[in-house]
Amino acid sequence: MVIRNLTKAYGDKVVVNNVSFEIPQGKVISLIGPNGAGKSTVLNMVTRLTPRDSGEIEFFGKDIKDWKSKELSKKLAILTQINHIQMKLTVKELVGFGRFPYSGSRLTEHDHKKVAEAIKYMELDEFEDRFIDQLSGGQRQRAYIAMVIAQDTDYVFLDEPTNNLDIYHASNMMQIARRLCDELGKTVVLVLHEINFASTYSDYIGAFKDGYLRIFGTVEEVMTQEVLKDLYNVDFEIMEINGKPISIHY
Amino acid sequence: MVAKRKNRISMLLLILCSIGLVFTYLTINVDPRFYDFAMMLRRPKMIGMILAAFCIGTASIAFQSVINNYIVTPCLLGMNSLYILTNTVVAFTLGTYHPMFMNANVSFITNVVIMSVAATIIYGFMFRVTNYNVLYVLLSGTVMATLFGSISSSLMRMIDPNEYLTLQANLIAGFNNVNSDIIVMAVAMIVATIVLFYRDIKLLDVITLGKNQAINLGVDYDKTISRILLAVAIFISIATALVGPISFLGLILANVARQMFLTFKHSYLMMGSFLVGVVILLFGQTLIEHVFNFSTVISVFINLFGGGYFLYLIVKNKGA
Amino acid sequence: MIRKYRLAIILAVILFVLSFLSLFVGVLDITPILKGDFEAFEIVLISRLPRLMAIICTGVGMSIAGLIMQQLCMNKFVSPTTGATIASAQLGRLLAMLVFTGTTLAQQTLMSFAFALLGTWIFVWLIQTIKFKDVIMVPLIGIMFSNVIGGVTSYFAYKYNMTQALSAILVGDFSLIIRGRYEIVYLIVPLVIIAYIYANHFNIVGMGENFAKNLGVNYNRMMFFGLSIAALITASIVVIVGTISYIGLIVPNIVSMFRGDKIQGSLVEVGLVGAIFVLICDVIGRLIIFPYELPIDLVAGVIGSILFLGIMYRRLRVPKPKIRVEGR
Repeated sequence: MVIRNLTKAYGDKVVVNNVSFEIPQGKVISLIGPNGAGKSTVLNMVTRLTPRDSGEIEFFGKDIKDWKSKELSKKLAILTQINHIQMKLTVKELVGFGRFPYSGSRLTEHDHKKVAEAIKYMELDEFEDRFIDQLSGGQRQRAYIAMVIAQDTDYVFLDEPTNNLDIYHASNMMQIARRLCDELGKTVVLVLHEINFASTYSDYIGAFKDGYLRIFGTVEEVMTQEVLKDLYNVDFEIMEINGKPISIHY
Repeated sequence: MVAKRKNRISMLLLILCSIGLVFTYLTINVDPRFYDFAMMLRRPKMIGMILAAFCIGTASIAFQSVINNYIVTPCLLGMNSLYILTNTVVAFTLGTYHPMFMNANVSFITNVVIMSVAATIIYGFMFRVTNYNVLYVLLSGTVMATLFGSISSSLMRMIDPNEYLTLQANLIAGFNNVNSDIIVMAVAMIVATIVLFYRDIKLLDVITLGKNQAINLGVDYDKTISRILLAVAIFISIATALVGPISFLGLILANVARQMFLTFKHSYLMMGSFLVGVVILLFGQTLIEHVFNFSTVISVFINLFGGGYFLYLIVKNKGA
Repeated sequence: MIRKYRLAIILAVILFVLSFLSLFVGVLDITPILKGDFEAFEIVLISRLPRLMAIICTGVGMSIAGLIMQQLCMNKFVSPTTGATIASAQLGRLLAMLVFTGTTLAQQTLMSFAFALLGTWIFVWLIQTIKFKDVIMVPLIGIMFSNVIGGVTSYFAYKYNMTQALSAILVGDFSLIIRGRYEIVYLIVPLVIIAYIYANHFNIVGMGENFAKNLGVNYNRMMFFGLSIAALITASIVVIVGTISYIGLIVPNIVSMFRGDKIQGSLVEVGLVGAIFVLICDVIGRLIIFPYELPIDLVAGVIGSILFLGIMYRRLRVPKPKIRVEGR
């Protein structure tokens, strides 16, 4: 996926300014930056949730907007921050929606198999007949990921998947993102607030500030004192733990 | 799995209740000598009620799912004020002796056509202007409704009191005007609407996942919800033209159905809501005809009861 | 100093000029008054002046009632129309007409007030109860609640054969205002002054219960007090003039566009703009099908709803700042 000169403005306020980068296939990519930097807006434009003002988003040789929405939903999946659903929907039924792009509301034998696999992969077997409003936050998050897995796409986009989760569930979430890439061969793009999650679990990092993409590169290239200070206006120490750069600020 | 079995049992119970009430309504207190005459009076009324229950029941479920809030009713679409306005304008300009009032068929078809066309134009326009922001569309709708209300009341002040009585009789909901021609027209329109919007209605299950999830699954969200709301508006127009304004019925039907059926499947919910409507309307009408001896109209009951239910829902569910 | 009050002064001058001119609009020609004709002067005293005063009081009152409610609820779409105040006041007035035979205006006002207060209070309690705090959901709930109350009203009207009389009293109209039948609107004057004195308190209460407590303001008492003022203003207008939708909704929104949301700073302007708005609507209503006149409710309704839609779409185009809801 190649992004060129992406721009978006609300009124006079330019929230995404001439952003260009390429998403390498089969890797985990994290987008970081302070609040209001435009990273979520980029994610939403790339996944057609928000219309863009100008720029190109090339995906498998074709611009995103030239794709049929239904075809696109077989290639890329986006999970925004979990919106509260008050419906009486069981985990199995939710995951079943992942097959909607393929079979509509009537699931085939093959779909049921895919759903069962996704539930198993996310270790949700014992909850599959529970209603999702009866689950804990972490379980619900996993149920949604299972739906994305059932959707069986090459690209997976997650908008702040660790938001509202405690440390245990958050790091669990990051391991899942890593496994989606390593075990299932997906390209995973995340918007993250935690710099150290980004550095520990991803291959590439894109750093945003004030609507500009400041730097896009490997973890080592981005995780430097200079870059982080430029982003957050806070002094950082960078240490190496288990071969991964970890930032400390105070 | 328990939920599934419970749903089946509830559905069965509702069907049995409806059938029972249909027979009760048709045969209660019938003098065998005038059997045919009684049937001629009662049958169209009963079918009218079933059709109204179908329109309001299904439309309310769809409406709530699109708005993603279970305390709203399609009465927010302002169809009631539009209905009152149409009738008032006709009474004011053409007089109540015009066929529009004297002939139930003409009156029915004019009302449905005017309301559907107006809804299509107004809501189509508002969806475009607000960039498919459904809550803003609704708020504009209520603003228009208040405006229609002001115009109607201003006109009503100037109408001759005798003509006003005729107008009022038309405005208060009742099933007395229903005849076989109207039934045929209503059924035709309902079928046409379903055929026209079938693909959008089928997407309701996915729509309830929320905008982002629906788009992720490849649904053209904006177009779909605007078309569904249009279908809702047409259904409510048909129901209103059939029985007059009964705004709060939808709130009761949809919520009772959602409580009875623990599922997200709209085929189930809509069917349930429809049957609950049949039960409530037939039961209410039987009571009114045989216990209260026609001393009141069902719409008054429904609006009062529905209003109380609305407050109860807010307090109990805290609006969630 | 002058700069601070410049807008208010300009508005006051406009209002004064318009008021003077409006005295000359009417079926009977009163220009002889300029030559010292006593009969023409009488017309002015009996009918034109009371009408003008009622118009000004209505404009000032409704828009300030709306401003207070918007501040207390922290929602730009709340007003006596969308907050069930008007619907409840109507119910109160109808009940007064049913209960007391040969009801006086004072009785009607009292009943209207009691019901308006109760209705508004229930509405505020409802929106505080609900978890779903979408800006637009609040007025939508208010409108549904108004429908409930309207249902009760029409039930009584239907039962006692008063529906046409009801539609007559529902419509706001200045044509019946004459000396001796309108003085209750002057209740608005002291109420507006009180509102001005407590304006800062309302602002603080609007910021939330904890915020108010921190500053030593009694949240519940001020909330009740503010709503009472708004309800009393609305009730007296509903009884004397009838219903006028949207003024309480639009005027504060228009003023806050160029004046900000600090209530004490904008209260005077809101009142003045409200009066000018109603006056202009009234003159239009009197001229458009001269020598007959259109009820103010209709004219204000048409102009008001167009303005309101304009305001709404403007709001829609300007993005809301992204607010993160914490600890959900």
